[in-house]
Formats: sequence, C-alpha cells, structure tokens
Amino acid sequence: MAEGLTPTPTLALQRALAALVLDPEGATFEEDPAGFARSHGLLEADAQSFQQFSAGLAAYRELARLSLLDPIETMFPVTRALLVREGAWEACIEAFLQARCVASRHYRDIAPAFLGWLAETGWGQATWPFLLELAHAEILEVLVARFPETGFPSRLHPVPEPRDHIVLDSATQVVSYRHAVHQVSEEAPVPEARPTHLLAYRDGEGRPQLMDLTPAAAALLTRARTERLAEAAAALGLTDLAATLSLLKELCDRGAIAGFQAAP
Amino acid sequence: MTPDRFSGQGRFAGVGLGLRRPHLEAVAARPDHGVPFWETCPENVIGDGGRPHRDACAILDRDPVLTHGLAISLGGFDPWDGDYLRDLGRFLVRTETPWHSEHLCFTSVDGSSLHELLPLPFTREAVRHTVARARDLQAHLPVPLLLENITYYAELGRAEMDEGTFITEVLEGAGVGWLLDVNNVYVNALNFGFDPKAWLARMPLERVAQLHIAGHKRFGTLTVDTHGADVIDPVIELMQWTLARLGRPVPVLLERDNHIPDLEDLLAERARLQAAYDEVLAVPMRGGGHG
Repeated sequence: MAEGLTPTPTLALQRALAALVLDPEGATFEEDPAGFARSHGLLEADAQSFQQFSAGLAAYRELARLSLLDPIETMFPVTRALLVREGAWEACIEAFLQARCVASRHYRDIAPAFLGWLAETGWGQATWPFLLELAHAEILEVLVARFPETGFPSRLHPVPEPRDHIVLDSATQVVSYRHAVHQVSEEAPVPEARPTHLLAYRDGEGRPQLMDLTPAAAALLTRARTERLAEAAAALGLTDLAATLSLLKELCDRGAIAGFQAAP
Repeated sequence: MTPDRFSGQGRFAGVGLGLRRPHLEAVAARPDHGVPFWETCPENVIGDGGRPHRDACAILDRDPVLTHGLAISLGGFDPWDGDYLRDLGRFLVRTETPWHSEHLCFTSVDGSSLHELLPLPFTREAVRHTVARARDLQAHLPVPLLLENITYYAELGRAEMDEGTFITEVLEGAGVGWLLDVNNVYVNALNFGFDPKAWLARMPLERVAQLHIAGHKRFGTLTVDTHGADVIDPVIELMQWTLARLGRPVPVLLERDNHIPDLEDLLAERARLQAAYDEVLAVPMRGGGHG
C-alpha cells in the first residue's frame, strides 16, 4: 500500500477524491468544496479547482458508491431488508465504506469483503445476534458457485470403504448455524433460533446446490476427513454403516464429495 | 512503440463484443454466433470457478479474444500485485491476445479499491508518474500495452494542460498504444463543450490499435458513460469519421455493461455497427496520424 509514501501532489489529490467518495464528510462536500480540499491539505489552486468542478466531483461519490454497493444489495437482499426495516442500513453501509476494506481488484470480491467486515467488526451483532450467520447464508451458494477450480489427489475412488477418509470437493462447504437462516425471506428476515446444518456444493454441471443435513451427517462429513469412516460413524452413533456408506456414495455421485481415499 | 507492432493483426477486424456473464452459456453453446472477436476482462476470469467460468474458458479457448483490464490502477500509487501480474501474464498468453489494454486512470488509493475509473490530474507531475507506471507495467506483460482514454466528469486539481495533451504525453512518453474510446470522447465533448472531431484531429492517431464504442445517458446537466444503452447515431458517425481518418481497419469493440439485453438483441446491435464499419471500409481511406 501507499500509506507510507510522502504524498506528492498527485497522491494528495487521489486521497482527497477517495475521501470524498468513501467518507461520511463527502455527503456535505458541495456545501464547501474548496474547504473540503483545504481540509485534505491540498494547495489553494487545487482547492479552487475543487470549487469549480464541484458538481462533477460530487458525481464520483454517487457513481463509485453505486459501483461498490450494487453487489452488496444484490447478494444480501434479506440482510438489507432486515436493516432497512430497523432503520440501520445506511449506518451499516457508511461504516463499511469508511472502513475501506475492499482491497481486491476483482469485482466479485466486494460482497465477500462485506461479509468479512461483519465478521471482523461484529457490527450490529449485539442487536441482531444472527446477523453474521444471515449474511453468510445469503452468500454461501455464490461462494461455492465461484470457488476457483483446483486439482485433487490422484488416487480417489468413487465407492466408499469403511477404512476410507472422505475427500470433499474443493468447493464444498459444510456449515453449521445457530439459527435457521436459510429459511428467511425479505418479508420475514428474522430467523428462528434453531441449530441448522447445511451442505453447499457444486453439481456435475458446476451449478451450486444446497442440502439440509442432520447433525450427525454434518459431523460425519467433518470428522471422516481425518478419521476412518467406520470409526467416525461409530463415534457418532451411526450404527447402520451400510446406510451411511450408501449416503456418502450418493453425495459423491452428486459432486459434493470428490472421492474416497484409503486411510494410512 | 510504433504502429508496426500492431500490423499483421488481420484476425482482429470488424466489430466485436464484450463477453459478459449473462451470455456465457449461450455463446459457449453457439460457435456460429458471427462475432469476429470478443473482449474479456481478466479480472473477471482469473481466480474464478464454477459453470460460468467453464463456459468463459471454453469461449476464450475457441474464439479470438482481446483483453481489457478494469482495476489495475495504472495511475495510482499502490504497488502492483505480483501474484496477479503473474496470473495476468499467463492469461494473456493463453488467450493469444495481440495486446492488453488498461484505463488511463486510477482505481485504488492506499490499498482500497474504489471500483470506479477516477481521473488523473492533468499535470506534468502526473504525466511523469503515469509514464513511469505504464513503462513498468509494460515490462511485466508478454504483449504490448494499450491505454484507454476515459470519460471524466471533473478535472482533479488545477490543470497544467488539457486532456488531449495529457493523453498524448503519457502515450508517447510510455511508448504504448492507444485504445481510443470514441464514446468517451463524445461524452467528454458534451460535458466540457468542445468539438470531438477537432479534438481527435490533433491527437496521435498513429498510436490507435483499437476502438471502443458504447452507449451513454444524460442525468441533469451531466452525461454519463453508462454502457447501458444502444449506441446513438452521432457516436456511430464519430466512429466512422475516426476510422476514415485512421486509414486502417482497426477492431472496434461494442461495450455493454448495464441493462444488458438478450444475446440476440446485442448481436443485432453489433450487426448495425458492423454495417457502419463496412460502409467506411468500402471507400478508399485517407492516411492517419496527427491531424
């Protein structure tokens, strides 16, 4: 990053425009454009230019914010509906933008950056303890859908044996929430407090799919990545091993599991 | 860089289309689309996955492709992302693009990406800085670099020169080619009150390797480069005037990023522009260069 640089006039101008776009004070820029420029250490000639071109500079605040907020409003419609209903959406967005945590050049990373900011700051979660889970559930399928392609160990087989480990597809996620955040809607955005386990994966066509899991199935998909299948199933009280192996074979056929590998 | 570096690129002529996510599945399934080439944004492909990514890769491996970056922040101060530059280089080689274009602007400050094409100051210091950045970026790329003139809505700080001089000094100082966006010239002419043909006539047209064309929209007193509407006739006429002035059949790329229509409608829009392109090429061309 350039924060350690001695600000040249060009860098100072770029920082002033970034502040105009991202910071709350930018909302009142047009009341005193030259004063805004001076408060950012710009030269008087530049301050007069900010005065002369105030309408065009103000347009950048609107355009850049539209660009940054469109993926968030698209990807988190229920989170937005909840916070709009509670009168907190604007404050949430202002805090997010002011934190300047969109670092990636990839446009697809803006929405995950918002989720990361919620996780890091805990914003709003004292009032809405399910907020982070809600936002995560909203973006889960997108994260799975766009997970980068990766390779797998070469010796995977498609039919599980009791001594095997599970190797999940690299895009697959097993998630557990304290709330039923996958059953909310924009009209009813507050989830029921009920433990929920989901399997998100890409099918053979590369399209995202979501499946409800029992607590035992979710635990098995986690434990059997490092323990032998038979041992993990027994520890979880899954006494019908044949049925368990059949379920895992089906998940492999669907694409959630990449394959099975004999444990060392 | 001389115009010779862009000679022998006959497979890139006519009017191409920006490859956009809503059309990937249909284009991948339809090799007979009739589009002579596509333009793709590496940031939207590199590091992506899933079905749309598979479709995009299938198209890029099958059809002629030009590459056009969105957010490298050429005129900014943040250091290059070495991992991204490595991936970008591989991507450019894979697509066999004859050149790679970026915008003459900045998009990030102090590590924060604004995802908007922001204007550079029209100053001697900004020219020196941008020339150095462009030369350095070119040194990292396996193909020639083009820079695109942007739409701007305000001068950033006190200008020491006009936009045309700024662009010329950067292109010539860095020794790079020019992706000339005629819609951006037209929109800037509307917003700042100048004659776009007179503006173009004094520019270094010998550096032009490719044109962009798009739609725009007026909001109050400001015209914005939205890429969200059909191209209007005056912009098509400016494209034709520019092609005639160039005297070379450079590729033209139709950009559409908002209110993206069905593929059939976009193909019809492309065909309309192709007819305008062919109309110019049907008559003997004048030589290009400085007006």
